[in-house]
Amino acid sequence: MKNKLVLILCALVVGVLPTTVSAQSRLRVVTTLATFADLVEQVGGEYVKVDALVSPKFNPHFIEPKPGDVLKVKRADLFVHAGLDLELWRFSLVDAAGNTQVRPGGDRELDLSQGVMLLDVPNESVSRAQGDIHIYGNPHYWLSPKNVKVMVQSLAEKLSNLDAEHADEYQQSAERYIAELDRKIQQWEKAMLSEGQGFVAYHNEWLYLAHFLGLESTLFLEPNPGIPPTPKHVGKIKALMKEHNIRTIVRANYNPSSVAEALARELGVSEVVLCPQVNALKPCTDYLQMMNYNVQSLKEALLHE
Amino acid sequence: MKFYTYFLAGLLCLQGSAWAQVDEESFKALQQQVEQLTQVVNRLVDNTETQKTRIAELEAENSQLKQTMDKKVSIQRAEGSSSAKGLAAFNPDIGVILDVTGQLSQSDEDAEGNDKISARELELVFGHDVDPYTRLDATVTLSDFEEVSLEEAYATYWGIPNVNTRLGRFRPRVGKATALHRDQLKTVDEPLVVQKYLGVEGLSRSGVEFSGFIPAPWEDVVTHEWIAGVMEGGVGEDGALFGDVRRRPSLYARLRHFIEFSDETQLDLGSTYLTGSSDDDQRFEVNALALDATLTHYLTPNNPLTLQAEAMLQDRDETDVLMEDKPWGFYALADYKLNDRFSIGGRYDWVEPIGLDVISSPRNEETAWTGYFTFHQSEYARWRLQYQHAELAEGTNDDRLFLQATFAIGVHKHAIQ
Repeated sequence: MKNKLVLILCALVVGVLPTTVSAQSRLRVVTTLATFADLVEQVGGEYVKVDALVSPKFNPHFIEPKPGDVLKVKRADLFVHAGLDLELWRFSLVDAAGNTQVRPGGDRELDLSQGVMLLDVPNESVSRAQGDIHIYGNPHYWLSPKNVKVMVQSLAEKLSNLDAEHADEYQQSAERYIAELDRKIQQWEKAMLSEGQGFVAYHNEWLYLAHFLGLESTLFLEPNPGIPPTPKHVGKIKALMKEHNIRTIVRANYNPSSVAEALARELGVSEVVLCPQVNALKPCTDYLQMMNYNVQSLKEALLHE
Repeated sequence: MKFYTYFLAGLLCLQGSAWAQVDEESFKALQQQVEQLTQVVNRLVDNTETQKTRIAELEAENSQLKQTMDKKVSIQRAEGSSSAKGLAAFNPDIGVILDVTGQLSQSDEDAEGNDKISARELELVFGHDVDPYTRLDATVTLSDFEEVSLEEAYATYWGIPNVNTRLGRFRPRVGKATALHRDQLKTVDEPLVVQKYLGVEGLSRSGVEFSGFIPAPWEDVVTHEWIAGVMEGGVGEDGALFGDVRRRPSLYARLRHFIEFSDETQLDLGSTYLTGSSDDDQRFEVNALALDATLTHYLTPNNPLTLQAEAMLQDRDETDVLMEDKPWGFYALADYKLNDRFSIGGRYDWVEPIGLDVISSPRNEETAWTGYFTFHQSEYARWRLQYQHAELAEGTNDDRLFLQATFAIGVHKHAIQ
């Protein structure tokens, strides 16, 4: 019995020992999404070490955090997330991590939705009868580059607070990035030849991109958010596409391809796979490249109408 | 025309003579007035410019809002995710999960109703932060054929550096299946090795549990986690590992190694040591080792394949020589998600029951083959059809058919496994 107790105590002592293998001077930033990791790198540069938890290959709504993710959050100097109700799994994650400073409202937590312009904010009471509805509004807000300007500023402020020594560098990087973003915004806005064109999306995650480009995104292959397509609903969408001469179907890299492909084949319309996240597809190596790719792909698809 | 020219020239001459009469002082005063007026005009011009810019901004915003209204999309500046206002923000998260199961069995014995449909379990789940260092979670279980039970009620404490502590009643992390709630299981029922050794629904005991990570240079690829705890003696309903009464506390320690080969492929390996007593003397005469392995591979982002196996080996100091003193059992499970809607899977169980008389018993073990088909109606509703063929130690066979429906409402947070 004594031996067993000693073994268990040893295990406890090992756990209490400092878990940092080597001291690192850089801020350890953990982000939920790859897009946020790219923005942190743009602002933080050499002063930050960034890890993104969700692989861009997967839908960020449905993630099961892994022990490695828990460990990263446990050791994070800053935890950056989308806020709202996009990553509901993050609450269990911060519980498991036990890092009290990255819990909601903590000094080392950053909710990037603060101050951004939200679309689809429910005006009336909501229920699950409407599907996997988002109670605070559509959470895919980073797909509007105008919102990214707000997010970059938030990041610069947070990093400056946590690492005052390099505050000037963070602010300068943010200003440079926002200036670059402004230039690109003008290009992207001009890229769309005519406003008001529409497309069908698998899930309602391109609303911000459509809004930014003056396009319509009101028809979805999902009958309700988060509910897989049903034959009846797809039939209805098919009729609406014919009626309104909509000739483009858009989906994210992680959305199932079968329904979108079959419908595109049947109607002879184009199907476009866009990047919802940085690194979701090869051309989307950073945020600016991702937007370039998305805008260009949409433009080409709509031009073929 | 000539007349007007002469008339204007005359006027100018008159004015010129009057101007000559203005003294220097008046001239300076006038000059100051002109300067002041110029400043006022400049300010007005600036204001006009500012107002023009603002009007342009408002027009743009208005047109954006108009466009938004046309598309029936509401727009709002985000205030952050924790938008519950007032005292309501302090209310606990509340979730309700209903498990309704219909069952048909070949067995002639029908003490508890082998052929039945029942609201097998209604879980009421509550949870909220107590303070910056503690969270409280509770699960109360109701059923249409069992007493109300407190399945879980524990506080998680983060105040000890690098250690998470759970205190209260909870599902100890002594393996994979037993640590899960029923709605998290891949099958309708718990694996036989869990049912026979730890109880029909797995372990749910009062105690204290500590956990943390073991530092390693390779932790980007492999994460090592340790768990150790003390729980009250006895086990859950029908469990036989430590008996079914609260005698001496049981101890457990677990090591877990999680290997991430890639974004698509992960391997989870675990080993747990348990020690405790099933009788009323001072000895810890029951020892058990549980081993588990889970391989998850995503063929596509929407098609995960899960292969899982778990074994429990015991070393019991049985006084009765006819009893097997080293019983063991295992299960192996495969689950594949065909698409967003459907998944299929199967499980094989093999277990040596505790307290089995190896001489007189027709079989020394119990086995079961299980196949199931799951329909994921949505994230919060699921239907499962399961067939099971069991060969029992008493010598009889049983074929069972289950239809399970699981529905969840409210906020329901599962602890990360």
